[in-house]
Amino acid sequence: MSASPSTTAPPAAEGAEAPTVRGGRGAAKRRTPISRRGERLVGYTFMTPWIIGSLVFTVGPMLWSLYLSFTDYHLILGGDFIGFANYTAMFEDPMFARAVKVTLLYVLLAVPLKLVASLAVAILLTQSRRGIGFYRAAFYMPSLIAMSVGIAIVWKALFAGGGPQDQFMSWFGWEGGGFIGNPSVSILMLVLLSVWTFGAPMVIFMAGLLQVPGELHEAAQVDGAGKWHRFVHITIPMLSPVIFFNVLMETVHAFQLFGPAFIIGGTAGGPAWSTLFYTVRIYALAFVDLRMGYASAWAWMLVLAVGVVTLIMFRAAKNLVYYAGEDNK
Amino acid sequence: MMRNDYRLRRRSLLTGASAAAVAAAAAACGDDGPAGTADDPVQISFEWWGDDTRAELTQQAVDLFQEKNEGIKVQTNFADFPTFWEGLTGRMASRDLPDVFQMDYSRLRQFGSNGMLLPLEGVVDTEDFREGFLETAKLDGQLVAVPIAGNTLGLIYRADWFEAHGAATPVAGYTWDDYKTAISTLTPALGEGKWGGGDWCAQYHFMELWLRQQGGSFYTEDGSALNFEPAQLAEWWTTSADLYQAGMVPPVETTIEWTEGGLVQDVLASEIGWDNFMAGYAPTVEANGGTLALAAPPTVDPSNLGLYLKPSMQLVISATTEHAEASAKLIDFLLGDPEAIAILGTNRGVPATNTGLENVELDANTQAVLDYEASVSEYLTSPPPAPPAATGAIEAKFMEIYQQVQYGEMTAQEAADLFFTEAETLLAAEQ
Repeated sequence: MSASPSTTAPPAAEGAEAPTVRGGRGAAKRRTPISRRGERLVGYTFMTPWIIGSLVFTVGPMLWSLYLSFTDYHLILGGDFIGFANYTAMFEDPMFARAVKVTLLYVLLAVPLKLVASLAVAILLTQSRRGIGFYRAAFYMPSLIAMSVGIAIVWKALFAGGGPQDQFMSWFGWEGGGFIGNPSVSILMLVLLSVWTFGAPMVIFMAGLLQVPGELHEAAQVDGAGKWHRFVHITIPMLSPVIFFNVLMETVHAFQLFGPAFIIGGTAGGPAWSTLFYTVRIYALAFVDLRMGYASAWAWMLVLAVGVVTLIMFRAAKNLVYYAGEDNK
Repeated sequence: MMRNDYRLRRRSLLTGASAAAVAAAAAACGDDGPAGTADDPVQISFEWWGDDTRAELTQQAVDLFQEKNEGIKVQTNFADFPTFWEGLTGRMASRDLPDVFQMDYSRLRQFGSNGMLLPLEGVVDTEDFREGFLETAKLDGQLVAVPIAGNTLGLIYRADWFEAHGAATPVAGYTWDDYKTAISTLTPALGEGKWGGGDWCAQYHFMELWLRQQGGSFYTEDGSALNFEPAQLAEWWTTSADLYQAGMVPPVETTIEWTEGGLVQDVLASEIGWDNFMAGYAPTVEANGGTLALAAPPTVDPSNLGLYLKPSMQLVISATTEHAEASAKLIDFLLGDPEAIAILGTNRGVPATNTGLENVELDANTQAVLDYEASVSEYLTSPPPAPPAATGAIEAKFMEIYQQVQYGEMTAQEAADLFFTEAETLLAAEQ
């Protein structure tokens, strides 16, 4: 406002209205740097708690654990710098190979199944039906509670010997008992738990599906394409950025699964190490064996591995993902 | 519209933030001046492991303590055994231990050698302990714990089933082969879903017993290494193999889901275990129409049962406590006050103090435990030194790796080799 008198023409009763407005706009443009700086300050001030929080509770501990990974730090006794010894010891540790195997198996099973399930449900829920809002909420519900301790305990009961799963499968001649006591299938419990929580990718798929331009479908229909062809040749390519996003997020999450695995299998990843997830092993190394330095090295190896997997995915995505409106070369 | 939404959100955010700030400020205004009177009591914390029954009894005793000592408030907490130790080891690292807590002999060195425990000589009353009990409360000559009760290993068995199905009554000097014969007789006779005994191989305590029966020990004298060979461990892990293969002991698929012992569930006819557990199991077994009895555990050498009197539980005070006096008062009360003893009974075992022994009400089952301990007293030998700090982790590893053998994922020899690698790494990490 302060700048406006200098730029406006001398007031001429009614006619001055338009120039004032124009002048006001120009003034706002010039004022921007100062006001932006002020806004920025206010913004950062309001963010202070989160900035401090993430520095103190995330970045700080991460850097500390990076340092610890180069020491033989014992939770009580402390430790000394030992260079890369933890990282080399890992590859001679028989438990490392086991934990990696279990975790990879889980990622390979859980991620595709969960994405297929969430896409299928998303397709059903993007139809216009009466009460669709209720169904959307209902299908999202499990994701809100599934990673809780309560559900993990319910899961344990469902898959106990003589429990619902055992009884149901026995009707079809299953003799393996409850999944909880059977190391060859116990990981399926956790895969099922993960599939059941398809809410987050489902919502993202729904948003993606609603963005697919209707005219493409209409055009294809005119050309005589059936539902399946339209799905494969229109929906999937148009959805590919969303699919990519979901694959990425779910893979990263799957590598980090801890809570339910810890409650169902314990620190020993029972039965017989069949649920000995990488993260569970990190926990056991740190808080049962108290070998904090070695556990930190494991944790950083996971960071590295997930980073590499993500990088590979981004590379692969270049040829597989279609971004509408961009020159996809 | 957009602007209004934004403003509204900002305002409610501000309200929320200031409310949170007020709450935090209010919480910070606690009073922690030095105190110890009824109006301004000191607060100490007391934690233990155990079940609901134990928690109820302990809380009653603690309430009585608070009634008699108005200046002291006791904050109690409990958890099951593994959870309890998982929590405490983490808190040990942050120097945040409860003032008074229950200690196990296997963890005494882990906590005591790091200066986490208050030396108790002259702090608590040590006059009244029964003979031999204080020996296992010392770490390198210094008293850092007091025993609540003592126990030793025994064979707890269903006398009614043993008699009905013609299995020989176990007596001291009974060998492992005799015991296996009894199990092989009982399991088929008891029918589907019941077994003559449990698989004993998963417990490192039982292997220690077996080694002691051969004149050996689990750890070396200084506690820095294992005192046996992988071949011996492989042998131990095959002692029940034939029974396991034949289905004479319950399979791991079944036991992995057990949340309580097989004796209590009315499915096991016998189990090697700590003798004081017998008194705990007996009421349930009696309700199921059975009778429990206690005998010496099976042995390799009839003249050496390998037994020693172990503190079943101890009480310790954290070295970082600000209220050592109040904490000591609580310990003296729990172990020496006749009323407290009457309340606590034999839940933690037969009391370690003379006053305790005089004032506790002994039912037939507890009397049986006492009688058993008297009957094997000639076989009790001196206890091994407090095990190394890594024992907790080693004990867990022992079970975990034996599970691989039960599931057939590894041979006993492979498992034994793996256990040595793991245990040696753990022991080295403690040096």
